[in-house]
Amino acid sequence: MDFESYDVLVVGGGLAGIRAAIAAVDANPRLKVGMVSKVYPMRSHTVSAEGGAAAVLRPEDSYETHAFDTIKGSDYLADQDVVEAFVREAPVEIIQMEHWGCPWSRDEDGKISVRPFGGMTTWRTCFAADKSGFHMLHTVFQTSLQFSQIHRHDEAFATKLLIEDSRCVGVVAIDMRSGRLEAITAKTVIIATGGLGRIYAFTTNGNICTGDGMALAYRAGVGLKDMEMVQFHPTGLPFTGILITEAVRGEGGYLLNKDGERFLKRYVPNKMELGPRDIISRAMVTEFEEGRGFDGPHGKYMHLDVRHLGEAVIDRKLPFMRELGREFVGIDIVKDPIPVRPVQHYMMGGVDADISGATPIAGLYAAGECANVGLNGGNRLGSNSLSECLVFGAAAGRAAAEYASSAGPVSTNPVDALLADETNHIESSYLDKRGGDERIGTIREEMQHDMDAGAGVFRTRDGLEGLTRRLASLRDRFERIKIEDSSRTFNTELTAALELDFMLEMAETIAFSALAREESRGAHARRDFPERDDDKYLNHTVAHRTDGAAPRLEYRNVRITNFKPQARTY
Amino acid sequence: MKALGGAEAADSTHPPPRVYKPEMPRGWWLRQRHYFLYIIREFTALPMALWLLWLLYEIQRASNGPKGYYPPSSPAFIVFSIIVLAFALYHTYTFLSLAGVIIHIKGVPSRLIVLSQFAAWLVASAVIAAVLIGFAR
Amino acid sequence: MAEKRITVRATRFDPAKDKAPRLQSYDIPFADESMVVLDALNHIKAHVDGSLSYRWSCRMGICGSCGMMINGIPKLTCNAFLRDYWPRSITVEPLNNFPIVRDLVIDMEDFMHKLKSIKPWIIRKQEYPLGAGEHRQTMDQIDEFRQFSECINCMLCYAACPVYGLNNEFLGPAATALARRYDLDSRDQGIKERLPVLANSEGVWECSFVGECSVVCPKGVDPAKAIQQTKLDTTMRFVLPYGNREE
Repeated sequence: MDFESYDVLVVGGGLAGIRAAIAAVDANPRLKVGMVSKVYPMRSHTVSAEGGAAAVLRPEDSYETHAFDTIKGSDYLADQDVVEAFVREAPVEIIQMEHWGCPWSRDEDGKISVRPFGGMTTWRTCFAADKSGFHMLHTVFQTSLQFSQIHRHDEAFATKLLIEDSRCVGVVAIDMRSGRLEAITAKTVIIATGGLGRIYAFTTNGNICTGDGMALAYRAGVGLKDMEMVQFHPTGLPFTGILITEAVRGEGGYLLNKDGERFLKRYVPNKMELGPRDIISRAMVTEFEEGRGFDGPHGKYMHLDVRHLGEAVIDRKLPFMRELGREFVGIDIVKDPIPVRPVQHYMMGGVDADISGATPIAGLYAAGECANVGLNGGNRLGSNSLSECLVFGAAAGRAAAEYASSAGPVSTNPVDALLADETNHIESSYLDKRGGDERIGTIREEMQHDMDAGAGVFRTRDGLEGLTRRLASLRDRFERIKIEDSSRTFNTELTAALELDFMLEMAETIAFSALAREESRGAHARRDFPERDDDKYLNHTVAHRTDGAAPRLEYRNVRITNFKPQARTY
Repeated sequence: MKALGGAEAADSTHPPPRVYKPEMPRGWWLRQRHYFLYIIREFTALPMALWLLWLLYEIQRASNGPKGYYPPSSPAFIVFSIIVLAFALYHTYTFLSLAGVIIHIKGVPSRLIVLSQFAAWLVASAVIAAVLIGFAR
Repeated sequence: MAEKRITVRATRFDPAKDKAPRLQSYDIPFADESMVVLDALNHIKAHVDGSLSYRWSCRMGICGSCGMMINGIPKLTCNAFLRDYWPRSITVEPLNNFPIVRDLVIDMEDFMHKLKSIKPWIIRKQEYPLGAGEHRQTMDQIDEFRQFSECINCMLCYAACPVYGLNNEFLGPAATALARRYDLDSRDQGIKERLPVLANSEGVWECSFVGECSVVCPKGVDPAKAIQQTKLDTTMRFVLPYGNREE
């Protein structure tokens, strides 16, 4: 059998993945770098990020305050050495992006402009209007086209990591066009596949955010860290879940309940609209429950009001928000308030990785949303994630390049057998499967609604236990799925089935991790344990795959350097 | 080493799978107003070229002086000339409208640029007309 | 009252079975006024026919995946509302002027090569060191190229361009707009490296100004403008004695 072979293989073509690929080439221009992505890279979900990327660029700002804001925002679940390294690297990466052509918005003097953001004590969020992720992704993707060492496999769906003698030596991927399974071998693999928002019904995440990389690593034996920490963004459009950027509040927008009251004064009186996402989302749900939300055809909502900012500021700083309002809601945000409600947005949890992205498996790295390097803890601050993709994408690229430069070649013998196994599995379990009666779409929708209900903004033991039972039954039903599409060409029903398989497993890690953390910290809010419990839970949950239904959970101490845990009030 | 991923990458050793290559239907230019206007503009080049060739021929004929030169005056020819004039005006309109797209002057709205182009055209046409009429007298 | 329904006809094509594409009709519930054509396709795939293939992701008009012909007009299906068509039926076809891979999925490799050919990255004669910080750039300088940087590569402009339909070698609207995006960026010095591709026989001079590319662009980019500006640029550089000078 024949297959491509690389020094560094990146799975995922978003901001972290492409940054990693360029960093690997920069570190050693002789390396051959592959990139497998299930969509063309410019479709990656980075494209939907809006508000900006945080970095200390101003003389009045300091690394220490950025670190403290991030750690306090994480509810002290971040590893502080990682945060301290991150805040130092972020400005370098922002300047690098500028040199690559990112159209950052500018101040009068031509320097990169910054805006305020939730949970940040000073202005440090760099932005390209309100399409920051879009511009960053297209900039880094177009920049990557100049490197002949980077060889892309677009629209290839990774189904399995190749593991040989506890070292990762590549992936098996379906080429969507031909339907063929291919072994793509490499001395090192970097997983940068993004988040898993699609396990929820109401999410800002695109259709491609199905946790593939997390599931691949989990199945290869890597633990998943802090999976109970799921971020709900306060401001999504009802029905579609389209994200309304936090920059709307950063620029001065108000959140109003149905009495026209800025209700956040009862929850985050000192920060108001610039409080952190977890607390504001909880505040909104609390207001809904106490009858102070608006009632709409798609559930309760609040008003996000920018009318007082005026047309000029809105068109300069928030033009995409105006466009989204006009095209998807039929309102003009200059004249009308925006209906919003909390929506699943981001996964703090992810593949257990260290400060350079290395996982416990030799040759396997992870970066971006799919990874948990210890930066975000219990709650990520808005605008830290684009910076995270750059800083830790680059770190993983450099670390992988270093490992690949000295590692021995990959032997082809076991790879042949592994590929044959996986081909056999895909064919017998999916393509040649006969007689199933369960629709993929039905199981997926039930999972999504169960996750919304059981593992949402607030959680309880009963809710989580019920969720684990329902997920187990959905897993049973998944065994009986029906595949109607027998074509080998661009079979999106096959990939949807594989994604659902990944998502069901990831949903279980979330439910079990959340059930075991009997406290409230960051985005994990237990009604039955409303307080943070530093004596018992100042540690990371690491979920390991077992043969049974439930993952094996172990706990690892949070690394604390300079910032002792204190009460988190804003 | 290959330069770029994509097709080469996906199938370096296997032929790419078959695709269906649709052809543009004969009537494609009737489906959109812009397509129709575009095809009309392309088509008008032909009669305009014929008319101009004929003009060259007339100029050559007139080079022997006014004696024995009789300009064509059949109604059919006049109708043809009027149609060609309309075509020429259409091209002029397209060309001058493009100025607003191409010319970029800071602080000047593109509509003003287009209007000034049309104004300049009208002035130039008037001057030429005056000169010609003056000579004819 | 009876449930509101809508008929959606979608192109089906499996290269292993079909000689040519055909339309398949689905009658689905039009359950919510907020539904878009993409929601209709998703309903079909989830509940009626799992074999229907198409691309989509962000469903907020920014990833550029879900462009298709809707009743003959290229559009993003994620912001084409069913209420604008109902009670008429909707015909969804793959984007015009592209080879069809499967059902509603087109082959866009051609664009990926063209994108690379115009060198869409900052080209500098001398690398500006990272340690020197950012280039200074004013908002006015950004406004010079801003609209061309908004291209989401959705391919609607290529689907709308008959010149591209008749001759696939034509560089086309989006690639030219992106070349212009870099040419007009105050940080870039690569215009002379891009001109050969733009000015060659399959470059901007192939365009005879249909203008439909700019009409269908969902992001307000004006590729026709980029093409005409490039024509002027190449002419000036050819005609003027100092047109080719170093800048």
